[in-house]
Amino acid sequence: MMRTVTIANRDNATFQVDHRKPLLDSLRANGVDLPYGCKYGGCITCAAKLTAGEVHQGAQVALNNRQISHGYVILCVARPMSDITLEIGVESHDKLYRNPFLDPLEPHELKPDIATPKDI
Amino acid sequence: MTKHCCGPGYASPAEAMKAPREKLLYTIAIYTGTGIQKPDYLATIDNDPDSPTYSQVISRCEVPGIGDELHHMGWNACSSCFDDASMSRKYLLVPGVRSSNIHIIDCATDPRNPTLFKVIEGAEIKAKTNLSAPHTIHCLGSEIIISMLGDAKGNAPGGYLHLDKDFNIVGRWENSMGGIKFGYDFWYQPRHNVMVSSEWAAPNTFMPGFDLEEVGHLKYGREIHFWDFAKKEPMKTMYLGEDGLIPLEVRFHHNPDSSHGFVGAALSANIIHWWKDAAGEWQWEKIIDVENEPHPEWPIPVPGVISVILLSMDDKYLYFCNWLHGDIRQYDISDPHKPVFTGQVWLGGLLGKAPEVNGVKVTGGPQMIQLSLDGKRLYVTTSLFSTWDNQFYPEIRTNGGCMLQIDCDTENGGMKINPDFVVDFGKEPNGPSRCHETRYPGGDCTSDIWI
Repeated sequence: MMRTVTIANRDNATFQVDHRKPLLDSLRANGVDLPYGCKYGGCITCAAKLTAGEVHQGAQVALNNRQISHGYVILCVARPMSDITLEIGVESHDKLYRNPFLDPLEPHELKPDIATPKDI
Repeated sequence: MTKHCCGPGYASPAEAMKAPREKLLYTIAIYTGTGIQKPDYLATIDNDPDSPTYSQVISRCEVPGIGDELHHMGWNACSSCFDDASMSRKYLLVPGVRSSNIHIIDCATDPRNPTLFKVIEGAEIKAKTNLSAPHTIHCLGSEIIISMLGDAKGNAPGGYLHLDKDFNIVGRWENSMGGIKFGYDFWYQPRHNVMVSSEWAAPNTFMPGFDLEEVGHLKYGREIHFWDFAKKEPMKTMYLGEDGLIPLEVRFHHNPDSSHGFVGAALSANIIHWWKDAAGEWQWEKIIDVENEPHPEWPIPVPGVISVILLSMDDKYLYFCNWLHGDIRQYDISDPHKPVFTGQVWLGGLLGKAPEVNGVKVTGGPQMIQLSLDGKRLYVTTSLFSTWDNQFYPEIRTNGGCMLQIDCDTENGGMKINPDFVVDFGKEPNGPSRCHETRYPGGDCTSDIWI
């Protein structure tokens, strides 16, 4: 199935992509210049911000839950579940990095494998 | 002058100290994580004070990919094959931590303009050895081993990649990783049949950035490992605990008969010393403890974060950097149990003690260092790792890194920043880049081991 990807910080350029393929591969095949590193979801270099729609990124191991709650997705393993809108590149990384001494994570904000569920 | 028997390097550390002064420096520079879509590169810097291009980048050898994150590097051959006439110190192996590609760069055909000779693809390494994230490189005679910090999916502990002298993959070097949880740096001392390795974290843990809470979840190292070098398997682990959180650079004495060595525990900001006692048992002790420093805007004091340590070729001085504080320290370790604090300089850092040096705004703190063979010139760069830079020194994206030279008093101790040398990587032609490890053509104080 084809999905529409809109890149908000590239003049809302749109691309039709295969929902089975990682977004990094699809976008690069369409000529979008993107940073990337490990290509297995572990190094965060290709992180982008999802501002609309849904992706499946079960293979990513780089993001902590705070980064996920800010909408970050790992393009080398993420696949679109719907039409989506992304902000890409380092310009989208405003909330990706934080000083760990000044701004600690709550137990529920750690990476999914070690996070403690938040009491509701 | 140095008597050249036949192979590369020098007959002994004392001979190495008499080598001609280094006139070219190689340092890697990265665009990974900066937002600039250009390859990382090996920069060649002229540091001949009599040259018209002194203190400038004179050539740049780009790697083919984008996003490799070049980091550490090592020579294909060193003094460990001084007796082997068939070997020469010709190639730098320059891995990408993120891509696992290993770039073989010819630095001998034209030392002022190194060129890419070969790339060992990360995909081939992963397929043949199930390893990724290359870090430290040492040659062992004509063979080469590289610490790999993860398996092909970035999980710890990884292992050791073994290459032959023609850069073919032999396979895994180690016979067993034993109970080792993480990898990072290593150094071997063959006359004691020992190798010591240290621990950072799994690539999937450290590559995205530093979450302090993950230290408490035991996602970062706190042990060092003593290996039976001939058997290629660990024989003893030392649990350093809170004194040894994130033990990084491992340095044995250059004297091949000595059993003394040191490791810097980055997060604990301690120097750990080990040695073999009279009964033949390996022992360790903490010999230096850098106090955390108060910061006006921080709720907790700032740890030093010792990102690197280095020994002078005569094993007299220990140097290390506190990347977050912003100082480089020199200790006289003539008695390795009782270090004497002899020198200190400030550049960059979070404490605001030296925001500008030699007319350049220093972004980041003192990080990788390399010392001249005679011990008199210490070169320092300011970037640690792209994602960690972005957390602690976010303005490095626009300012880039820089390289400075520290002049060291080898007689009485003491250090001062050389006023004539500064390389501002913020002014690179493709935009601000960040420089990391440095080496030079004739070998240096972290490359050569004597067998």
